[in-house]
Amino acid sequence: MNKHPFVRAYLAGIAIPTVVLLLVMTGYTIIRYVYDIPVPIEKVIVFPMAAVPNAWGLWNVLYLAFLARRHFSLGLFGGALPLLLAPGGYMVTRLLGFAVPHEVYHIAPFALPVGLIVYYLVWKYFVGFLNAELGIA
Amino acid sequence: MSEREMEELKKLLKESMPAMRDAELRRDLWPAMQQRLAEPAIRMPWWDWALLAAAAVVILLFPTMIPALLYHL
Repeated sequence: MNKHPFVRAYLAGIAIPTVVLLLVMTGYTIIRYVYDIPVPIEKVIVFPMAAVPNAWGLWNVLYLAFLARRHFSLGLFGGALPLLLAPGGYMVTRLLGFAVPHEVYHIAPFALPVGLIVYYLVWKYFVGFLNAELGIA
Repeated sequence: MSEREMEELKKLLKESMPAMRDAELRRDLWPAMQQRLAEPAIRMPWWDWALLAAAAVVILLFPTMIPALLYHL
């Protein structure tokens, strides 16, 4: 069980966003194609589908490699990830010419702290649980 | 297989699998196991409940942020 700890850290990291993405995409597909609601995010869906799960996995590997032995809080480390993902997601929308609704900019000052809190709690409890189950906590 | 071959096979097996040394545990693991079983599965401190409540209130006040949050999760 002590073999390949970084592979296990990566797998523990990608598990949560992969499951959430499945649920979100199921809901989105129903809204988009069953109810014909025009929300054309197909252009920018590559970010949550590819970048976010991999970022979670690599973030957990970084935690295991550098911070786990120092008993640094996994919640705080994971809670800092939106500080990279939020600009990354914004950059993808700009590069692909996706028109972000103005309401998103208006709520950004509230959304970022909420994102930090959600990430802190998810990393502390869910990713922490998976790390413990895989013997890398 | 003859008796002699059986003896040779036994000898070879014993040579290839040496006897374990220090097979006994150095300490009793059962008390630690009992302690772990007695612990609650998830202990959430009050400040985490407060953070969860604050995030829930802000999301309820500004539900338009839900798609943006899901986009980054």
